[in-house]
Parts: sequence; C-alpha cells; structure tokens
Amino acid sequence: MKNEGFDYLKGITAVDYNDHLEVVYILFNTKSKKQEIITVNLKGENSIHSVIKLYRSADWLERELSEMFGIEILGRKAPRLLLEKWNGVDPPLRKSFAWGKDYKRQEP
Amino acid sequence: MSIMRINVGPIHPSTHGVLRLVVDVDGDTVVGVNTHIGFLHRGVEKLMETRMYMQNPSYTEKMDYVAPLAWDDLYVHAVEIAQGKEVKEAAQYARVILDEFQRIASHLLWLGTFCNDLGQMFTLFMWTFRDRAKVVKFLEDISGSRMFYVNIRVGGLWKPLPADFKERAYKLADYIEENIAQYPDILDKNPIFMERTKGIGKLSLEDAINMGATGPVLRASGLDYDTRKAMPYYIYDKMKFEVPIRAEGDAYARYIVRFNEMKQSLSIIRQALDNFPKNEDVVGMPIKLIGPPAKPDTVVLSHELPRGEGIIYMIPDKQRPYRIYMRSPTYMNLSVLDHISKGHTFADLFSILGSLDIIMAEIDK
Repeated sequence: MKNEGFDYLKGITAVDYNDHLEVVYILFNTKSKKQEIITVNLKGENSIHSVIKLYRSADWLERELSEMFGIEILGRKAPRLLLEKWNGVDPPLRKSFAWGKDYKRQEP
Repeated sequence: MSIMRINVGPIHPSTHGVLRLVVDVDGDTVVGVNTHIGFLHRGVEKLMETRMYMQNPSYTEKMDYVAPLAWDDLYVHAVEIAQGKEVKEAAQYARVILDEFQRIASHLLWLGTFCNDLGQMFTLFMWTFRDRAKVVKFLEDISGSRMFYVNIRVGGLWKPLPADFKERAYKLADYIEENIAQYPDILDKNPIFMERTKGIGKLSLEDAINMGATGPVLRASGLDYDTRKAMPYYIYDKMKFEVPIRAEGDAYARYIVRFNEMKQSLSIIRQALDNFPKNEDVVGMPIKLIGPPAKPDTVVLSHELPRGEGIIYMIPDKQRPYRIYMRSPTYMNLSVLDHISKGHTFADLFSILGSLDIIMAEIDK
C-alpha cells in the first residue's frame, strides 16, 4: 500500500466479533487525498505483524492496540505498557471483559 | 558528561494535565524523552459500547474539554449517518458557526497558556481570556451550559436559536477580529517570544507525515491538508476559505498557523451568517424517538477538530454502538515529542510541548 502512495497512517484499531478479531487500518494518500480502510481478519489467531518499519506513527497505535485487545505485535521489541498500568487483567476492549457473558451482535 | 535523568510531572503546571515525562539530559541538552501517559484512562470506548446512542455525547464532550462542541458534533454526525437521517439545512449552518466559534475559543485558550509556558506571564493570557469569555458566553446563551454544551441532537440542535442570534454573532465576530489584531504586537515584536519559538522543535514534512502528526502541527510542517477542504462535510464545500500552511515546522510556524486559522474561522462564520437559510428551524429529534439504525454499515467519519483530524470508526448495533473507535488528534501529536525535542535545551522542551497543544483527557481516553 505504501508503494501506491498511501504514506499517512491515520489510525489502527480492532473489532472483537467474539469468534474472531478484525484489525482495521485507516490509511491516507497525501497526494491524491484519498482514504482507504484495510481490515484484516485474524481468524482466531492472536497476533499480527508490526508495520512500524513503514509507518512510524504505528508506534503508539500498535501499543494501544496490543494493550486494549491483547493482540501480540510481532516483529518489534516489547515496549513498556503505555496506557494500562496493571497486569493480569483481561484486555479491556474485548467483548468478554465486564459483560460477564459473551455479547452477541443483534442485526437491526 | 554523564547523562542525568529528570522526572517531570505527573502533576506539573506546564504539562496541561496529568502527563509524566522522564527526560534524559546531557548537561542542559535533552537527549531523550520518555512519555508516560494513561493517568486519565477511563475506557471511554468501552463505556460508549454499553450505553444508548444519545447517552454518549456526554462522554464525547469530555474527550476534549477545551473544545467539547467539536467532538460532540463529530459523534452526533456519525450517528446521523448510521441512522440515515438528514441534518436540517439551517442546523448545518448553525453547527458550522458554533464549531468555528469553538475553534476560536480553543485557539485563544491555547495561545494564552502557551505564552505562560514561555515565561510571558499572564499578559497575553489575560487578553485571550477576556476575548474567550465573550465566545463562551455566546455559546452558553445558545446551549444553556457554560462548559459542556450538550446541545447537538440528531437532525439539528436541541432548541431553537435565540431571536438575536445572527446580530450577536456578527457583533462577536467583529469584536474578536478587532482584538486578535492586537496580539502580534505583543508577540512578533517580542524578542523573548521569538527566540523561544523560532527554530525550536523542528518537524520536517516527511517526518510529520510518517509519524502521523495532524492538524495545525502537520500544516505548520507544510502539508496542505484540512479535512474541511479534502473531505467536506456540512456546508464547507460552499465556503471560501484558505488553509494556512507554513513550511518551517517549528513552534513559531504552529503559532502562525493557529493564528491565521482564527482569521479564516471568522471569515467562515461571516459567510455562513450571510447565507443563513430563511427557514430558521434548527430543532432536532427528541432523544426518545431515536430507534435502530437504518443500515448496519460501518461509519467512518472525519471532522477537523481544533487540534487536528478526529476520526470516528463506528460499527452500529440496534440500540448502541457495537464498537466505536475514536482517533484522537493529540495522541498522535504527543507521540512526536520525543523526536522533535532531541538536541534542544531542557527549558525549550516546554516550548515544544506547549506548541503541540495537548489535552490529556483526549490522549488517555
């Protein structure tokens, strides 16, 4: 994607669908002013490769992702915790956290 | 000389919130800044997933407590897109006017506190707060609240505009224009201000893009990118305004960009007031009538907030968002701090931090 001119990484986040996780990248082309959303289905896995070599903005975004969703980031050294200062607790943005039971999405 | 480690914060007047910096210094020169955030982390995204659509504006407002209306507007607009609801034409104009006034109020607060950081104690701070108070009073009279104006509703605003709204807005715009014209006298002619901002905290365009800087920080590095122009929402495509850019990328350029943005905001406000629709009905839907969204598509929406581009990525569900991600602009801007403060003196670290215009509530979410 970077070779196609998408040189600005705006954000990284994830969505928990209970059975699988989906990682979302929001990319932007600063020349043609086009935005592109890329979603990656992790298919039950719990790790994703780092994009920090392409986008340095991924540094804090990936740390937020790994703390909030418990996703392991491969290919970069493990940094200290950025937002959460406690250990041994469920990743807070997973659906299993604080709901008590799995929360199923109701299609409207 | 050996490297010494200095701890700054979490409670410190120059950090504008609870931010802890662990600074490595060699003599008086900064060689590395380790940023510790998360003291204000409250899990806003998780909280918003557990509440109904229109209970959430009270959370989005606390994201950026200096410009609450801007975040509020962004969130409610995202809900409107999910619901498939049109915004009334007059309400679009009113929202643009309120957003731009909010941007001016936010930049005025930034300018005053920035000068405090530079040691120009309370002279300009008093001036900017005098002017900001007028804007805040104006917004208070429209919304009924002084700080958190929860007055944006699906489809419009929560109550009709006051009868003298246009008259007062014109007067206020004139007042602000007259007063901000005095500021350069105390800043650009002031050797202390110039020496502490010019050439300090340089961020090249390449680095700014690669490190994800946004808003005035990105534009001060020379990229002509404003969401209001690139991805227009509401009536911004009908407005004529310029996007202020500077090539230097230092603290002074960031001040100039923000200062010129205020002038452009005034121009947008005047244009919106001139073309205000005859049908002045701006009242939105009652909260109780808001039902399930029309289609379950993902909403991705960007607005130009005072501090940069805010993005909402929302997957709607029946009564509440299934997942909502809010990209906060200052989170990206603060991550640049370590890179741009290397090689500067310890005292200039606060000039750089001030020029990034951070809000900790928005960074920690």
